[in-house]
Amino acid sequence: MSFEDDLRAALRREPAPENFAAEILRRSHKQTPRRRLFLLPLAAVLATAALIPPALQYRDHHRAIEARDQLAMALTITQSELEHTRQKIRANVRHRQ
Amino acid sequence: MKIALILLAAALPALSQQTFDFKSLDKLGARAKETTNISLEGDTLKMATSFLGGDQDSSFVKNLKAVHVRSFEFDKEGQYDAKDLAPVRAYIKSLNWAKIVDVKEQSESTEIYLQAPQNNKPGGLAVVSAEATEVTVIFISGIGSLSDLAKLQGNLGVPSFTLDHGGKKAEDSKKD
Repeated sequence: MSFEDDLRAALRREPAPENFAAEILRRSHKQTPRRRLFLLPLAAVLATAALIPPALQYRDHHRAIEARDQLAMALTITQSELEHTRQKIRANVRHRQ
Repeated sequence: MKIALILLAAALPALSQQTFDFKSLDKLGARAKETTNISLEGDTLKMATSFLGGDQDSSFVKNLKAVHVRSFEFDKEGQYDAKDLAPVRAYIKSLNWAKIVDVKEQSESTEIYLQAPQNNKPGGLAVVSAEATEVTVIFISGIGSLSDLAKLQGNLGVPSFTLDHGGKKAEDSKKD
């Protein structure tokens, strides 16, 4: 036999086994949920991880603004209290005079 | 052994100056109609100062170490116990700050204590004001220079801060 005959014999068309299509479908159904099970949490973790830095940045920014407003209020109260005391002292001095 | 004794001796003044929990004053305001509780220290204070605009004013706040304000306004007289102010007075006394103002009237008293900044050591200011229907305690440490104090003493008024990001102006923040 020639090489060509050998090749032709090796490549000759053969019918698929009877349950070939069913087996393919069975395996594909079996693999999909497993992949999903793995991918869904991974996607969730990645999405959450992507949200963390902006969330932290927003929180810090919000805290800083709150602290700044508190500081401004504290200094305003201080000034007001000092001014009030100064007026009291002036009134006392005038009263004595 | 000698070194340990020297270190202990050096640490004694610091240990004697215990810190004061300003939150303990909050009980004064149990029956107050208006309450202001502000405590800013450490990182929070740094954050606050970093968000203040206005160059000349930020130089005033950059040295601040702690800012505590407790202010309570009452509907009528006798709604707070003046004895509750004793611990904060004792604390300020322990700091050996100079009492520069002591005004006493019938049912009112105002004390102002001052630690002037010297030898690169920041100073401080404390106010304890007890009126018939209003109590205010202010404690500020980390005042960098006497000119900073002048800003607080009314001549220049409280710095008019430029708020960078959508906040309200300092002048608007306290209702008179």
